[in-house]
Amino acid sequence: MKATFPHLLHLDIALGVLYPNLGVEIIIPPPITQKTIEIGVELAPQNACFPLKVTLANFVEGIELGADTIFMAGGVGPCRFGYYGPIQKIILEDLGYDVNFVLLDHPRYGVRPFIKALQTMAGGRVLSSRVIKVANLAWKVLRLSEDLERERRALRAQVKDPQKLDEIIEGALERLRTVDNEKTFQSIKEETMKGLENLERKETEDLIKVGIVGEIYIAQETKVNFNVEKILGDLGAYVHNSVSTVEYVLHTLPFTRSREKLEAWKLAKPYLKRFVGGEGIDTVGSAIRYAQEGFDGVVHLYPFTCMPEVVAKSILTSVSKDYDLPILHLAIDEHSGEAGLVTRVEAFVDVLERRKKLKKRKLEVS
Amino acid sequence: MKVGIPRGLLFYRFYALWKTFLEELGAEVVVSPPTNKVIIQQGLTYAVEEICFPAKVFLGHVLYLKDRVDLLFIPRLVSFHKREYNCPKILSLPDLVRNLFGVEEERIIGDEINMREEGIRGWRRGFLNIGKHFTTKESKIMKALEQAEKAHRDYQNNLKKGMLPENLIDHKAPLLPREKKIVLLGHTYLLSDSYINMNITKKVNDLNYSVITPDMVEETKKRYYLSTISKPSFWTISNEIIGTALYYLKEKKPEVRGFIHLVSFECGPDSLVGELIERLLKREERSLPYLRLEIDEHTGEAGLITRLEAFVDMMEWRYSHLESHVSSSTSS
Repeated sequence: MKATFPHLLHLDIALGVLYPNLGVEIIIPPPITQKTIEIGVELAPQNACFPLKVTLANFVEGIELGADTIFMAGGVGPCRFGYYGPIQKIILEDLGYDVNFVLLDHPRYGVRPFIKALQTMAGGRVLSSRVIKVANLAWKVLRLSEDLERERRALRAQVKDPQKLDEIIEGALERLRTVDNEKTFQSIKEETMKGLENLERKETEDLIKVGIVGEIYIAQETKVNFNVEKILGDLGAYVHNSVSTVEYVLHTLPFTRSREKLEAWKLAKPYLKRFVGGEGIDTVGSAIRYAQEGFDGVVHLYPFTCMPEVVAKSILTSVSKDYDLPILHLAIDEHSGEAGLVTRVEAFVDVLERRKKLKKRKLEVS
Repeated sequence: MKVGIPRGLLFYRFYALWKTFLEELGAEVVVSPPTNKVIIQQGLTYAVEEICFPAKVFLGHVLYLKDRVDLLFIPRLVSFHKREYNCPKILSLPDLVRNLFGVEEERIIGDEINMREEGIRGWRRGFLNIGKHFTTKESKIMKALEQAEKAHRDYQNNLKKGMLPENLIDHKAPLLPREKKIVLLGHTYLLSDSYINMNITKKVNDLNYSVITPDMVEETKKRYYLSTISKPSFWTISNEIIGTALYYLKEKKPEVRGFIHLVSFECGPDSLVGELIERLLKREERSLPYLRLEIDEHTGEAGLITRLEAFVDMMEWRYSHLESHVSSSTSS
């Protein structure tokens, strides 16, 4: 068995740590490029949401490198993500690919298929001490990869040499790929954090602060969202992203809950009373939290026509009014152009800066 | 008390139930008029651009009613089938109305009806909560629900007999029965709103075909054929559409000549389910032709007619070809 899986930011690093240690041979799909996107657009239903197209192309590119098995997660709705699996499976079958599509679905679709899928994905066993140890290490790697990105977003506008910042982070991510024990992991972590601390800072005062909210894939995957967070950072903004795979996993597992998500859901309640699939309610709640924390603006990133996010967008209009919070909505799909997007982000940052100055002047006068 | 029911989305499915229930509780029910240009324009003005066309139309109906009634009836229909959902937009309707139009929460009957986990208990609790807007007597509410469910069954039975919602709601004269049939797939709110679907049932009838809609098919049949695929979807209406398509695909009734699938451009479930149906049809030997028609606010009537006519021509050519092929091969 040679298994492949979809990309989601640095998920491949964590799974690359997990699988070889479980004795499962994996093929990491090639990094997402324009070609990947073209493959997805050609094969997927025209009006499907963008993540379905890109992840389908990941599978095709993985198969072309020799994968014969696909690992995919399922879902119970109401967002389309939970139905990606069956659609991608039938498309691959019709293309003539002879692959084993392993769909890890909610146990409510059958406990036996769930355990079977889990067993296949865990290389035969489910709960041996070895599996637990390796899974724990992979989990830490995933967490650290997110922490590093958090640092990168926060620091880009503050350091003198952003290129150096990228080098440190990219270097650390590369080293994480080959981690196979706790000790190496810790040393990578410590060295990287020290490296970041030692980066020379600019004399900055009062950076504008921008929060990112939105759908889990598009808001995180910098290879398809034109790296909006880098554009923002280069324009001098302190950036924070509320979307996190770690929190998503915590919230999905049966015995853990994401505190961050629960908090966001509570904040969203006056506007959106219930879960509407995907990250719809998180988007609303996180935007409110950014407003309360004094952020200057919010960028909303989501796939074009995404159902939960279109609901969130409708509701954010009144959040924006009530909290006097500028929100830039960016819907991403294969038709999004980089030039147009950059212009919109630049204009948005301009507005935020002017507002900030105006507010400050008002404060001084009073 | 005047209670307004917007004529859109699930209205066409639950018309008899809602109306009876509210009237039994003493409400004066006001239904917004059939969709017209002004209603659509208003919906387009307030809704975010990317929301689906039927949702925009629904919002237009809400706007029409907003200042004409005391209460707006926009229950949150999370699920009307165990283990299944409606789409995120339907799940959030009361919130959308509150946030987009600034309607006070007290003026919206937006109680949740959710059969996903609890089945019929979730259904009853939902209606009990709705009833409490009118009376504190639970027995009165449950009696009203009983009457409403009876009206709902009658309504459904009439649909099964081949009536369309417009015949039952607006007492429009039924279309002429035709020998040949086309299965018209799609959400009831698209198939039943003749303004936004450009009167497609009439147009098909003029081309000498009758339509069969998912509402006309027995629930057990739809569910049986749905269960033949490895993972059904989690959207109830989409599942009914898949089940209907598979039923006519597998049972091969001679009078059924093809499928037309009416979808709205921005509809999430349709974008996946349409693809699934098309691929399942292609896999079948001696399959039936399939046409997907996308509807949104930019759809032109002329283009729709052209596509419809071309499809019917192709269908007839194919049918006569296949028939002659089959008869010649059996005679030789």
